[in-house]
Amino acid sequence: MIIKDNEEIFSEELKSERFFIQVKRSFAIAKKDLKIYYNKGPVVIQGFLFPLILFFAFTVGRNIIPIYLISGLMAMVMFMTSTSIGPVVFPWETRSKTLERLIACPISIKTILLGNIWSSFIFGCVFSIVPLLLGILFFGLWASINILIIILGIIVASLAFSSFSLILSVPPTDMPANTMILTILIKFPILLLTPIFMPIHAAPYGIVSPLTYYTDIINVGLGESSAFGPHGLLLDFCILILFGLGFTFLAFVLHGKTLQKRFRG
Amino acid sequence: MNAIVVRNLTKYFTPSKKEKKKGRARNPSLESRKQGNNSIIRAVDHIDFEVKNGEIFGFLGPNGAGKTTTIRMLTGILKPTNGEILIFGQNFWNNPIKAKQIMGHVPEEANVYMDLTGLENLSFIGELYGISKKERISRAEQLLKKFELFEKRHLKSKKYSKGMKQRLLLCMALMSNPKILFLDEPTSGLDVQSSIIIKKLIKDYNKNGMTIFMTTHDMDVANEMCDRIAIINRGKLIGLDTPENLKKLKQEYQAVDFYFTKEAKESELENLSSVKEVRKIRDYYHIIVHDLNDGICEIIEYIKSKNLKVKKINTYEPHLEEVFLKMVNGGDDY
Ligand SMILES: Nc1ncnc2c1ncn2[C@@H]1O[C@H](COP(=O)(O)OP(=O)(O)OP(=O)(O)O)[C@@H](O)[C@H]1O
Ligand SMILES: [Mg+2]
Repeated sequence: MIIKDNEEIFSEELKSERFFIQVKRSFAIAKKDLKIYYNKGPVVIQGFLFPLILFFAFTVGRNIIPIYLISGLMAMVMFMTSTSIGPVVFPWETRSKTLERLIACPISIKTILLGNIWSSFIFGCVFSIVPLLLGILFFGLWASINILIIILGIIVASLAFSSFSLILSVPPTDMPANTMILTILIKFPILLLTPIFMPIHAAPYGIVSPLTYYTDIINVGLGESSAFGPHGLLLDFCILILFGLGFTFLAFVLHGKTLQKRFRG
Repeated sequence: MNAIVVRNLTKYFTPSKKEKKKGRARNPSLESRKQGNNSIIRAVDHIDFEVKNGEIFGFLGPNGAGKTTTIRMLTGILKPTNGEILIFGQNFWNNPIKAKQIMGHVPEEANVYMDLTGLENLSFIGELYGISKKERISRAEQLLKKFELFEKRHLKSKKYSKGMKQRLLLCMALMSNPKILFLDEPTSGLDVQSSIIIKKLIKDYNKNGMTIFMTTHDMDVANEMCDRIAIINRGKLIGLDTPENLKKLKQEYQAVDFYFTKEAKESELENLSSVKEVRKIRDYYHIIVHDLNDGICEIIEYIKSKNLKVKKINTYEPHLEEVFLKMVNGGDDY
């Protein structure tokens, strides 16, 4: 191989450091995550089993109107699934010794994190369809439904909670169980602080939980009015978007810091 | 043109709290590299070298020498504490993604994705290098055929044998058709047959212009494969040589261990013309010879003449560490 100058070596390649090329590569990461995790414990347990159990625990014997039943279920499923794999990907990849290979590829840590967000996002969206269909088919909620608000709500919340969940895998451990414990310690209080299966006014402390705003969006989408006044819907979306962007930024910074510690000699 | 230029490359580790508590270094050579009470580990300590375009460059050193740490810095996994890495003249850490685009890497303890098939693993890596779908599939199939994995391409990798996984890892590193291929101990832990296949394929790729940077702790592998060999010990480069010179050095260290039924006289053995040095160690004599064949013949003659009887003979392959020490200390401190 005769090389005339160094430009020739690099210029024939894609300008792979460019933003949109990295975004494209993050889709490859997401595809890989989906293939690997769709049938793994955390997703199935949190996306399906937990919501089912909690649903009965919260609702049996209580007289709850269908809108709150469905929005509560949707909030639970959304929060549980979109935060299910974020905390385990990094420890799992460290443990199974695939991370080093991944980092040696022409991508940055941000690309990997972005890929993880997309895959959690898809899990969040797909699992949300089940309770929504339930509401439409069995509770006849289609009459008053605003499907656009609901879809937008699902998309925004799913992205926001996905990026939030990445923070939980920042500690450089190679034991998925470690981050799972941290996850449960943080996730359950948030869930319990959220006024689900009830009117949002009934629990004023609910404003501290980001999940409350998603619940409000779904309530509005199902025909209720917002608990936060005439511009409540706008407020809901703004808060979720800010929440998501903030945690994405935080994940980029913190993971950049702990990444090196994952490679022990 | 140099494919890789390394200047002053350095990596220090500060042990984690857990390791400090254990208070025990994972390997003995570490102690000497620790600095004072804050116990910094100097894994790689101010090294300089160049790798020419198109050569197979070997990085030879005993366990814990700093080989993996060096290769991890060259492939963007670890950030150097200090120093500069130029890849075809471009500073690596100014734009790691750009540099990584033209590299392939088989890490020391890497693994494939067990839940993906062989083909999916390759396609995934290809996608990360920005290779189009059509091209990905065709390259992957070519590689799988070459590495005799084609039949099993739709099988999940967790069902592969160790040798098959190693070959798949190599395929993953070759997916992007890299200009520089990094291999960390490519043949260690493989059976003879697999390692012969892998060595041959590496040489083939090199003939077609690929620059290869490989580490090994096996002098014979280095001699067989590499155009030039850098020797690293305790984080420092102590020599840069061709295989021929290294072989010579090794030959200078040929030795035989003789176990006799009776005591022999060390001084008499030492006076034999082909014997360089004799040392009595427990119940045997460690005899360093100038030439293995002449040495053994002469010692046998001596044995006959003295009516000694031989219990056991071991020829002795010099350890890398001994050759190193000889290079560093001129052989006094054996
Ligand atoms: N992440 C790390 N944290 C702390 N110490 C490390 C780390 N990585 C390597 N070391 C130490 O640095 C030294 C060099 O290690 P390295 O893995 O580079 O050696 P090596 O030449 O590859 O050895 P081997 O032949 O065993 O693979 C060792 O003493 C090791 O314990
Ligand atoms: Mg090593």
